[in-house]
Amino acid sequence: MHVIDLPEQITVGAERLRQTGISTEVTPDSILDVFEAWAAALGARDTADIPGVAFLRLWLRRGTLEPIITRELGPGALHADWMEDGRARLKVYPIGVVGHWPAGNIEIQPILSMTCALLGGNACLVRVPGDLVDQTRRLMQKLDQSDAAQVLTGRVFIAAFDHARQDLQEAMARAVDGAMIWGGDEAVLAVRALPFAHWVRLAVFGPRMSIAAIDAGIWCDRYEREPWCRRIARDVWQFDQQACSSPQVLFLERKAGHSPFEFLQDLKKAFEAENRLHPRQTIHPALTSAICQARTAWLLANPANSALFPAGPDWTLLLGSGSEIPKPTQGRTLTVLEVDDLFDPISRLDEGVQTLGLAMKDPEREERLASAAAKRGVNRIVKLGRMHVFVPPWDGVDLIRPMVRMVRHVRSTE
Amino acid sequence: MEGLEERIDRLLASAPYRVPPEERSRALLELLRDELGYACERNQALHNYVRHWPTNFQLAQSIADLPYLPVGMLKAQPPLSLVEPGQIKRTLTSSSTTGQLPSRVVLDSPTARRMTKGIVVIVQDFIGSSRRPYLVVDVPGSVRGGPELGARGAAIQSLQPFATTVAYGLSLGGRGELTLDLDKVLEFANNHRGSSVLVYGFTYILWNHLVKPLLTDGISLDMPYVHILHSGGWKRLQDEAVEKRAFNEGLARVFGCSNDSVIDFYGLIENVGIIYPDCPGNKHVPAFGDVIVRDPLTLEPVAVGEQGIVQVCSVLPTSFPGHLLLTEDMAEVVANDGCVCGRRGTCFRFVGRVPKAEVRGCGNIDSRR
Repeated sequence: MHVIDLPEQITVGAERLRQTGISTEVTPDSILDVFEAWAAALGARDTADIPGVAFLRLWLRRGTLEPIITRELGPGALHADWMEDGRARLKVYPIGVVGHWPAGNIEIQPILSMTCALLGGNACLVRVPGDLVDQTRRLMQKLDQSDAAQVLTGRVFIAAFDHARQDLQEAMARAVDGAMIWGGDEAVLAVRALPFAHWVRLAVFGPRMSIAAIDAGIWCDRYEREPWCRRIARDVWQFDQQACSSPQVLFLERKAGHSPFEFLQDLKKAFEAENRLHPRQTIHPALTSAICQARTAWLLANPANSALFPAGPDWTLLLGSGSEIPKPTQGRTLTVLEVDDLFDPISRLDEGVQTLGLAMKDPEREERLASAAAKRGVNRIVKLGRMHVFVPPWDGVDLIRPMVRMVRHVRSTE
Repeated sequence: MEGLEERIDRLLASAPYRVPPEERSRALLELLRDELGYACERNQALHNYVRHWPTNFQLAQSIADLPYLPVGMLKAQPPLSLVEPGQIKRTLTSSSTTGQLPSRVVLDSPTARRMTKGIVVIVQDFIGSSRRPYLVVDVPGSVRGGPELGARGAAIQSLQPFATTVAYGLSLGGRGELTLDLDKVLEFANNHRGSSVLVYGFTYILWNHLVKPLLTDGISLDMPYVHILHSGGWKRLQDEAVEKRAFNEGLARVFGCSNDSVIDFYGLIENVGIIYPDCPGNKHVPAFGDVIVRDPLTLEPVAVGEQGIVQVCSVLPTSFPGHLLLTEDMAEVVANDGCVCGRRGTCFRFVGRVPKAEVRGCGNIDSRR
């Protein structure tokens, strides 16, 4: 971890990365060996408590990444082989130094972003948001311990500096060949406006929100309902509902003879159980205020609205009806909206929605619903309980391929 | 059973800082519970909120267990009201930052009367009950008559019961900017130099439009018997790196008085009839209200020495649901009783506004596409 104060520190660091990248070739297969060892090391007590580490360990496993490499880069990419393509052959090469601007709300995001570019053989210049410096340092120490041959550590430069230091941001932009940019609109726009060279590849993962939907066939079945409620609670709790893949609204299909309160009571139990397992250790006072406001505003807005919440800000369930998505509160606040037909809210979605978490009894109907959502701009349609599973394409974009070059060789002897 | 009005008036008539804490809490809890019931009967939306509160307020054992409203809810349009439109005599509006809606607080005659009385009994405890010449460091337009009154105007007006005469020390310049009317201020000083006087202004206005120009010109008003009250918060002066001590010293030099003559008070337009002056170290809660400082993590009241989000409580309003309001301010509880100044009950120190959350991550959608 480098605490940066001068633009030259970034320029020199990036140049060293570039030289390492040119002088040493690394195959995805050898990277996966290091990742496996890193995943094992992250199970230690001093890193296991970092939010998202369980997920990161799963992500780093060969079993997770091998199929992703093969799908995105082709069957020969794992061993950096040339792949036959008709009369030509193709091979994956890195683009060079990839800069990473992760969001400040997901503890493991600097690492996740970096691993995507490393798998393409790139070197990485990572700016770590101020709030994530300590966690990132601990996670990187485990990589140091797991990479005795320095296959990867020589290809990574972690930079810590204030986001307001425009001179350092610009130095970083000038030093890279690719950029992976994550975060809210303000942050993303600021990074995109930096003076990148014309050849720089940009992969932008801007602000999105996610929703969930359950059909009547699922929630009206009291035996099925309970496990689905547990899955929803897990999706809400992970990343403290701050991720773009976190559900903010749940659409519940109405059914005559069944009260939504049957469902809400089970969901409440699931939220309480999840809260016992993963209580908050800290909260920003502004989020507490926002949660209190959301509860009150919801109940004052319409006497027909209902809600369940404890005395503290631990979680909130807001119940109403309608197809409009209200402004997300986050902070484990889920708005449950009753609708006559799930196709109604889905037909109103736009590209602001990233993930649709589903629980549906009828597979044929689910396929139609998924197609309708995809047409409206949704990029991920997944089973509830798996909304955060970080598998590309993410936001409709591959994660490794944008930061590699596919080199084509047509033999002159052909 | 004694009516609400009589019970409120009885609390309002008691010495504001002499009631033992347990006795005060008991009386407040009972009255606030009944006022909540009264409010719910008159406002269906509020009733919906209160009935969803995790516990039944009728069974609450402490004021901290009663359902409270975030103060932002008073920004609703039309304003939250417990009276018929014809009964509304005045609407108070808060000062709001750019792009934010102001709070709107509706007052009927009884609430307006109690608001005046509340401020009077509090301020009396700090400066005495006599009437005296009153210099307002603001422009006359701040208290323009009409159905709506802003925060500055409300604060200025609330001190008028202490005034024999009122003078305004600022005027509007050609571009509508606040300008020191030096002749007026000097005339006021010359006329009342030897007598007790009252001065009020918003904190940043006092500093920028009176203290700074007079210090620059080396003018002292030489008014040793002055009481200077100010409010409105420190944010603007903090931005200018002016600390409380420098502020008090500057005012004392300009007026030729001791630093103790300067009294800062915390108050919200939504918390009608209650202000919290410094004693000088701590802020105190009168018999007809309470302050609860809540831990942001649990929303439970914090222990002495800890900081949290301020909730203000007041029995005074009956025209709008301003009895239990969770503010957007932070404070530290200094003691639950026993301040050296002799005032009984909770005392606290204001810390600042709830800081804005800076993390704006990938899930933070402010605007849809």
